[in-house]
Amino acid sequence: MRVGIPQWGNVYIPVKAMVHRLGAGDNDLIIPPPMTQKTLDLGVRYSPTEACLPYKLTLGSLIETCELGADTLVQARGTGICRLGYYAKGQEQMLHDLGYNAQFLTIDVSHHKLLSIMKLIKNVSNDAPWHKVISAFSFGMSKLFALDKIEKVVWKTRAVEIEKGMANRIYREAIKAIDEAMERKEVKNITKEYIDRLNRVSKNSKTDPLKVGIVGEIYVVIEPFANMDIEVELGKLGVEIERTITLSRWVKYSLFLNYLGISEWRKVHRLANPYIDHDVGGDGWESVGEKVLYARNGYDGVMHLAPFTCMPEIVAQNIMPSTKEDIPVLAVICDEQQSKQGMLTRLEAFVDLLEFRRRRGNGRRI
Amino acid sequence: MKTYLGVDVGSVTTKLALIDGSLNTLASIYLRTRGNPVDMVKEGLEEIKEQMPPEAEICGVATTGSGRYLAGVILGADLVKNEITAHAVAAMHYMPDVQTIFEIGGQDSKVIIIRDGIVIDFGMNSVCAAGTGSFLEHQAERLNIRIEDFGGHALRSGNPARIAGRCTVFAESDMIHKQQMGYPIDDIIYGLCQSMVRNYLNNVALGKEIRPKMAFQGGVAFNKGIVRAFNETFDTEVYISPHNELMGAIGAAFLVKEEMENNHGKTSFAGFGISETEYKTSSFICKACPNLCEISQISVNGKVLARWGGRCDMWERIEGK
Repeated sequence: MRVGIPQWGNVYIPVKAMVHRLGAGDNDLIIPPPMTQKTLDLGVRYSPTEACLPYKLTLGSLIETCELGADTLVQARGTGICRLGYYAKGQEQMLHDLGYNAQFLTIDVSHHKLLSIMKLIKNVSNDAPWHKVISAFSFGMSKLFALDKIEKVVWKTRAVEIEKGMANRIYREAIKAIDEAMERKEVKNITKEYIDRLNRVSKNSKTDPLKVGIVGEIYVVIEPFANMDIEVELGKLGVEIERTITLSRWVKYSLFLNYLGISEWRKVHRLANPYIDHDVGGDGWESVGEKVLYARNGYDGVMHLAPFTCMPEIVAQNIMPSTKEDIPVLAVICDEQQSKQGMLTRLEAFVDLLEFRRRRGNGRRI
Repeated sequence: MKTYLGVDVGSVTTKLALIDGSLNTLASIYLRTRGNPVDMVKEGLEEIKEQMPPEAEICGVATTGSGRYLAGVILGADLVKNEITAHAVAAMHYMPDVQTIFEIGGQDSKVIIIRDGIVIDFGMNSVCAAGTGSFLEHQAERLNIRIEDFGGHALRSGNPARIAGRCTVFAESDMIHKQQMGYPIDDIIYGLCQSMVRNYLNNVALGKEIRPKMAFQGGVAFNKGIVRAFNETFDTEVYISPHNELMGAIGAAFLVKEEMENNHGKTSFAGFGISETEYKTSSFICKACPNLCEISQISVNGKVLARWGGRCDMWERIEGK
């Protein structure tokens, strides 16, 4: 069995760690190539025009893994979330039409997520014993948590570093080092080492950078190719970002704490309730609540990332202006037609707006 | 005398404006870019040199518009600013209590919302160029009238034709249909203006709170038909700035004046000599990865000054700089 997964942020790193832990070799897992224009072109060519960018990009990525020899593909499925629930079926059909007879293994992301993932790992690893499956899973997750921990420091460093691009270089090296780590202890040491390095980067201590919260649809928020590296571009403009949506948080809550009745979104939903009091699919409800939360916490602005034609986020986008908590929001529509230059012009203007606002004293300090 | 130069390189036109320390416009020029921004910047600079008073000294240069990076490299700009901020700054100078700015240019249109003298929100057309200057120009050409006469026709209309405005493709076929039905040209033209304003308000300005006073600027503000449609829609007079076509350049000049005065910096202006310099622009496809980015570069005598267009920073570093 040669397993292929679609590219999404750093998700390939924990998956690779798990598979190797279970004794599989390099041939058993096809690492998706980094997303490029080619991935997008493939996805766009074989998708309906009105499908969203996450559908197109994951399809393009799966085609690329098939080209590299994958015969078993992993994709999400579910009910009540958004179109994501149907991705696997549509993509499976398309890949068969293209002549790739890959088998689809799906992860149920609306119910029994943990069980679904564990069963998948067991299945892929030729029925390894449960204790090995659990140990491999936890090793993989240690890498995921380490990467997100480092990235949080990168967000702060990018905004104030004197030599621009330094934090990104260190982050790239960190990703590589974490990927290559063989033991849990090693992962821990690498995390500490790189966080120290980031803390030692020479910074402009005089500036108090603008702070912007990133909200929106989870796929485009996490995959830099999908959002045209918006976080890096904001860093270049001297803006510090924060985002609650990370893969490690999803794992922590959706796979574990939710079962104990602890919801990561309880507070956010409560804040959203005066404006929208029920799930609208995807991350729409959360986007509205997060806007309110960032405003209350004294952030300067919010970036709202949404795939073009994404219904839940369109609902959120239309509700956001009506909240009592006033904070500038820039909607960034992620689509293959969007030009990076156009996005940069908007980002620059938005940052100017935030700066003028703060100088006037409208933006509170955090 | 200290003066400051603002240069706005747009998709269709290139604008230059020279201001003095008290924000008076001393010299200005409005040119068609004709797909050749480098030559237009050079030509514009020559013109400014002729118009400017002999005692004037350029103490700061700023560029704006979609060609701002290219123009910034050629001119040695002290400030490269996006056009939204530049337009807002200029409008607020001429009309301190403005609350809404409509800006329609050659290929883009924006709305800027201002409250208490600061920009609080803005919108910009993204993939659709409906209702921009280029579309109006194209339609004028199709109707065989000069774009300069477009407004005059619209003002004579008493019974405007209803034209579909959601999409230029439909607008065009609707116009052809109305022509075949024998509608007078004045009514078709004004109907088109109305539908363009409707389209603009339903797309670019969607969800924005439009309050008076309103300023209308950008090249399309010359078009009296569009102005009439705006006035009738809001039942109030939309204010046309005195230099509406130059507002981006003027705003950029204001911003660089402020910056240079605050930092007491010395300008990095490349001087009037650049109109003699041969700039070469070229582009190539980077084959380092499957992204196949289109990299553009500008060089002088084989020495590369700047590069753009890559997804990564591989080409951004220039040797010996």
